Amino acid sequence: MSEVEFIGSTKRYDDGTLALDSLDLRIEEGEFLVLLGPSGCGKSTALRLLAGLEDITGGEIRIDGGRVNDLPPGARGIGMVFQSYALYPHMTVRENLSFGLRRSKVRGRVSEAEISSRVDEATDMLDLHAVLDKKPKELSGGQQQRVAIGRALVRRPKVLLMDEPLSNLDAKLRNRMRYELRRLHELHETTTLYVTHDQVEAMTLADRIAIIADGRLQQHAKPLDAYHRPANSFVASFLGTPAMNLIEGVAKNGVFNAGGLGFALPEHLADWDGPGIYGVRPEDVRIGEGGSVRCEVGGMERLGSNAIYHLQTGGHWISALQYRSSDRQDPVGREGTGELEVELAVPAAVMFKD
Amino acid sequence: MTTRTLAERWYVPAEIRVLRGWIPFAALVNLVVAGGEELRGEGASLRIGVAAVVLFALLRLCLPDGAAAWRRQVARPIALVILILGVYSLVEGQPTSYELWASTWLLVPSALTLYWLSAGLSGTWSAGNGDSRVAELGLARNRLVAPRLEKFALHTFLIHATGLVVAPVVWILDVAVSPGNILGGDIGDAFTLEHFRTVLGGEDFWLWTRNSVVVAVGTTIVGLLLAIPAGYAFSRYNFSGRKGAMFVFMLIQMFPGIVILVPYFMVMKTLGLLNTSIGLIIAYSVTALPLCVWMLKGFFDAVPRTLEEAAVLDGCTQIEVFFRIVLPLSLPAVAITALFSFLTAWNEFLLALVFNTSNDAYTLPVGLSSMIPATGQQWGDFAAASLVVSIPVVVLFVLFQKALIQGLSAGSVKG
Repeated sequence: MSEVEFIGSTKRYDDGTLALDSLDLRIEEGEFLVLLGPSGCGKSTALRLLAGLEDITGGEIRIDGGRVNDLPPGARGIGMVFQSYALYPHMTVRENLSFGLRRSKVRGRVSEAEISSRVDEATDMLDLHAVLDKKPKELSGGQQQRVAIGRALVRRPKVLLMDEPLSNLDAKLRNRMRYELRRLHELHETTTLYVTHDQVEAMTLADRIAIIADGRLQQHAKPLDAYHRPANSFVASFLGTPAMNLIEGVAKNGVFNAGGLGFALPEHLADWDGPGIYGVRPEDVRIGEGGSVRCEVGGMERLGSNAIYHLQTGGHWISALQYRSSDRQDPVGREGTGELEVELAVPAAVMFKD
Repeated sequence: MTTRTLAERWYVPAEIRVLRGWIPFAALVNLVVAGGEELRGEGASLRIGVAAVVLFALLRLCLPDGAAAWRRQVARPIALVILILGVYSLVEGQPTSYELWASTWLLVPSALTLYWLSAGLSGTWSAGNGDSRVAELGLARNRLVAPRLEKFALHTFLIHATGLVVAPVVWILDVAVSPGNILGGDIGDAFTLEHFRTVLGGEDFWLWTRNSVVVAVGTTIVGLLLAIPAGYAFSRYNFSGRKGAMFVFMLIQMFPGIVILVPYFMVMKTLGLLNTSIGLIIAYSVTALPLCVWMLKGFFDAVPRTLEEAAVLDGCTQIEVFFRIVLPLSLPAVAITALFSFLTAWNEFLLALVFNTSNDAYTLPVGLSSMIPATGQQWGDFAAASLVVSIPVVVLFVLFQKALIQGLSAGSVKG
């Protein structure tokens, strides 16, 4: 178990592209940190820098306080699970698992007895008994995935890296493996850095999330903190489905004005003065009589457990989510048209500068 | 005139379609036959062949279109004339298998044409009497008959194509086991192993074989030692001049060998490598190199980079990554490349002829060619030797078959 630090870590490619811009990030011992962001945001680059698969061009990376910038990948004590699994096709599962142990000269030779006991351990933990002597192509996607995790873990890595490990699985298996991954982590407690663009994986797996966009760290927080108290409008819109309503406008004397839309700010935001982005999550928008904003219903989606309303007011689109709707309670009826009163000034609302 | 139904407009009997495609082919076959007769100087057969070509062409032009009744009235007599020609040539010529085959190409197409234009739905349609009822019945029949007719037509074509490829091999086999040293005679009329005894008993043959084996194996080894690292470098590393080098590699391959023959000769002469195996090995390795490098590069490209990254994280050095991951996954490609180098060296004639002036240094192809003038026309010995020389190639192919097929369907390496 180890801690990892990115200190001003920067990656600029030869063609001038800045993939990662001065990342400062600390991963605690035994922590499960998820790097979350849209594709091309630099999260995989951060992972590959830590693994040593790419050369860092600025700043440094430390594992257990020691600078690893110039260590070869094999010497950093890292186990990695690739998106494509990258199992060696010409080796059996057993050989795949033990390959790294036979190669690790840097940390001293591992005895045959030790190798077989570690392989057995991984086999037990990941339930691979039935496939030990098969080649990777004979395995199902889920089994390949488990072998890949096993291969990373048998080396007792200081840090476990996972690069979108679930994205090649079908939806049902993905849900199960997500749960498995969390269980495994609680079992072996290896410091883990997990890269994904899927917010559900991030929310369910992470001890803490680091949200990255355009090569920069946007927020580093516990999942629910990031959800409820997003650091900026990017995080606010990236986390949550449907996305948070973001309304650009100007606040003055406790009133928020955005084009044709105006309402009194809730108490905790009443001091805001000047331009800002007002954010309120769809599930926090209160629908019903007594609301301060009158909207036209542009459309709605009934999902069974909840319903999403797409509302239009003063040139803005607002989504509102209501749980356990049924046609009888529906304020707009079957055809999904009409007018609604909603309340946007709720205690959960947030304001951003940009 | 009433409007025609969809079925009427659509319907063409499958038999007529086959004739449309097949009569030109029959004309072509007869043209080839006529060419052969011309070469053999058989006037009567030549005239028959030419007449058949003309008649088939006319017949194709006059095939019924389902409307004009005159087409059938013209087409049937033409077919009848071809049929009579066929019977005549069958009766007139010697009863050899070749004559029989040639006549078949007159008899069968004409007989089928006559029958199909006269009988059944296609007959009715050809006469221009097809109404919507005939068209609907005909379409239903087409679904049953068309696949069978097409299969028959396709296989006729394939059998002829195969015959064209196999005939020389059968012929040389026949010459090799026929007594005497002549080229003529019917296939399979006599059997003897005397030529094989002559060839295998002679000292020269074994000398040449030894030379060929040394050169071919040497070329394979040198070629692989050069091509594997080069292919890997081209596939994985980005160095300046990479693209240019790849292009030039391919460009060199485009020059005909004769262009570099004289420079090669001068170089080898200067180095004192004429009449040696090493000279040939160097020349062949270099000649085969561009293609080998390209083939291997393509294969290395198909090995996912993440596999190498995984291996690096598992503690492999760059060399270990190559030997433990990339090379084992590319064995089929290495097998093809090896076989290709071997075949290049084993079969090459021109360079070997020019570089080697002494009988002691001949490779098999050069040695074989020397048999032709040296001992008069020893066709039997020559044929036997040719067969013996082909055996290693066939054996290699059978041995490597599995790897070769894998290698040829490149890109099958899964991550």
